[in-house]
Amino acid sequence: MSAAPASGPIFATGRVKANGLLCDGMHRLDLELPRPTAFAPGQFAMLNFGGRDRLIFGRPLSILAVEAGAVSFLYRVAGEGTSRLAAVAPGAELAYFGPLGNSLPPRDDGPPRLLLAGGVGLPPLLAWHHRHGREADLALFGARAPQQVPWTLLSERWAVSVDSAGQTPAGRAAFEGTVVALADKLLARRPERDWRLLACGPLPMLRAAARLAAARGWSCLVCVEERMGCGYGVCRGCVVPARAGDWLTACQDGPVLDAATIDWERFGASAPTPGGGS
Amino acid sequence: MSATPAWFALDVGAPWRLGSRVLPGRIWTASGCFGYGLDGHDIRHEQFGSPYAGLGCVVTKTITPQARAGNPQPRLCELPHGALNSIGLENVGLSSFLADKLPELAVRGVPFLVSLAGTQPDDFGAMAAALAAVAGELPNWHGVELNLSCPNVAKGGVDFGTDPRTVETCCAAARACLPARVVLAKLTPNVARIVPLAEAARRGGADGVTAINSLIGLEVDLRTGRPVLPRRSGGYTGPGVQPVALAKVDEIVRETGMPVVGVGGIAGADDALRFFALGAAAVQVGTAQLRDPFTAAMIARMLAPAGCRP
Ligand SMILES: Cc1cc2nc3c(=O)[nH]c(=O)nc-3n(C[C@H](O)[C@H](O)[C@H](O)COP(=O)(O)OP(=O)(O)OC[C@H]3O[C@@H](n4cnc5c(N)ncnc54)[C@H](O)[C@@H]3O)c2cc1C
Ligand SMILES: Cc1cc2nc3c(=O)[nH]c(=O)nc-3n(C[C@H](O)[C@H](O)[C@H](O)COP(=O)(O)O)c2cc1C
Ligand code: FES
Repeated sequence: MSAAPASGPIFATGRVKANGLLCDGMHRLDLELPRPTAFAPGQFAMLNFGGRDRLIFGRPLSILAVEAGAVSFLYRVAGEGTSRLAAVAPGAELAYFGPLGNSLPPRDDGPPRLLLAGGVGLPPLLAWHHRHGREADLALFGARAPQQVPWTLLSERWAVSVDSAGQTPAGRAAFEGTVVALADKLLARRPERDWRLLACGPLPMLRAAARLAAARGWSCLVCVEERMGCGYGVCRGCVVPARAGDWLTACQDGPVLDAATIDWERFGASAPTPGGGS
Repeated sequence: MSATPAWFALDVGAPWRLGSRVLPGRIWTASGCFGYGLDGHDIRHEQFGSPYAGLGCVVTKTITPQARAGNPQPRLCELPHGALNSIGLENVGLSSFLADKLPELAVRGVPFLVSLAGTQPDDFGAMAAALAAVAGELPNWHGVELNLSCPNVAKGGVDFGTDPRTVETCCAAARACLPARVVLAKLTPNVARIVPLAEAARRGGADGVTAINSLIGLEVDLRTGRPVLPRRSGGYTGPGVQPVALAKVDEIVRETGMPVVGVGGIAGADDALRFFALGAAAVQVGTAQLRDPFTAAMIARMLAPAGCRP
């Protein structure tokens, strides 16, 4: 199953090194921390503003990378918190609490991996691919349009799908359709019968990935998202319905969960609603 | 000749007596906001070390006789000045708490009170007795806090905490099984007059009261016109409830003189001092402990004799 975190979490004040648009609808934040930190792909951090700007709850974002004393994130503006985050200038301070949660297991000699990433679900899989990816694996990224693809982050080993076609950078192509449809197409050309699926992205994509894996008898790990109050297991706010009947927490049991342990019928049954109050 | 008032100079890290116990400090964490006192031991902070450093007491998540699954999603709703929660008292249940959590609490040595809730007054006595039988020798177990903000099945689902006679019965049931531990009654603010409830708790033998539990609140999703939370309303907590908590604490202290543990919207040392200024014996940190697990430890540090008061 999932691997233990690379190191215990720290609560610290970070300084924004860079914060800007990477492509349409996707921002990148690099945050300098007072001391080095490690992370394992799939882990996340709770970010918050400082002083009087503090939000009642931190906002969970997956960790993309830790390089040169800075921890990096990719995010989309989803509401009040992330829109304020997008306006934060270099030099500003943010509260950092991480790394939290479990992680994607490191590489073993099992079957090749099929990575399905959608939108800002990219960080866990990009980080995993960077550390553990092999030639035999298939890494796929899906977005709505080519302008929403962070081409500079994706090596040639990543295949890209877009809902609607458009101009792509020189030398890069995008399949028109869902990332799951692209997976179907690429798998048809491969001799391997057995794959392990790793998926991270919007809920409909996770559902499709879980169905695909179940239909073919493959194991499937998904990175889930839920509203979080604490990120460290004490509030029981972030529950995901479990097949066994009760709940799994996205922040402690997850965010990486075995798709077979999730009750997909109950998961996300109540439509998401804005966290902001007014 | 110093003009510093006693509440301002109060050493929150000095041992103090509550009922028959001596507690190690006056800055606590609130029930439901720091788990069972077992999470977060591996979290570190440059300045404060462990989130447990200097804590006077951790009040556990409320335990019920049987495990409870809790409510469906979404369970949280952030608001500009607080949050609504609808966790639904999800907890592992008494026997699992005794078997799995207590031994670890014993090893960790965290000072703690166990928060208890039931569906009928007898449950409080039975749970207190079971706790005493298993945890009786634990030096860091100081007693119980009765969460009376839950429906009394025997009385048609009315909250225990709104009827003085029921409050008295619940406290007396726990007291009878715990002669040498702290019994606190946690009071709901969702009543017109809180003092009669505090007096009832005292008649039942409680050593003091905790005030306040969450306010009943509701948020509407304007995209659908429906409440955000599946059970419509939830518990409102955080900075927005602090004035309500202060008013309730003030009433109880002035009219009963009982030891009061103040809770509601505390996120910094200045917030804690407001409660101490009114005569609170100790304070608890709830919602703010979720966003920052070092909040209580930070307040304890700031209000220690060598700390920097705001
Ligand atoms: C483990 C984890 C990792 C995540 N990683 C990323 C990431 O790498 N990049 C990224 O852009 N986003 C990520 N998210 C989602 C991100 O946390 C939310 O988009 C963000 O919290 C929204 O905050 P807001 O204040 O902007 O929006 P709000 O105004 O609070 O809400 C806007 C919308 O976002 C939803 N939402 C609110 N809080 C959460 C939450 N905690 N989780 C999921 N949905 C939420 C609401 O239901 C609503 O539909 C992650 C979430 C989790 C749980
Ligand atoms: C997520 C959450 C869960 C809570 N669970 C409990 C609980 O199980 N038992 C209880 O007595 N109070 C519970 N409370 C109430 C708090 O202990 C506290 O009384 C209330 O939140 C007010 O304090 P605050 O404003 O500092 O949060 C909970 C509060 C929150 C936010
Ligand atoms: S976010 Fe609090 S338990 Fe997961």
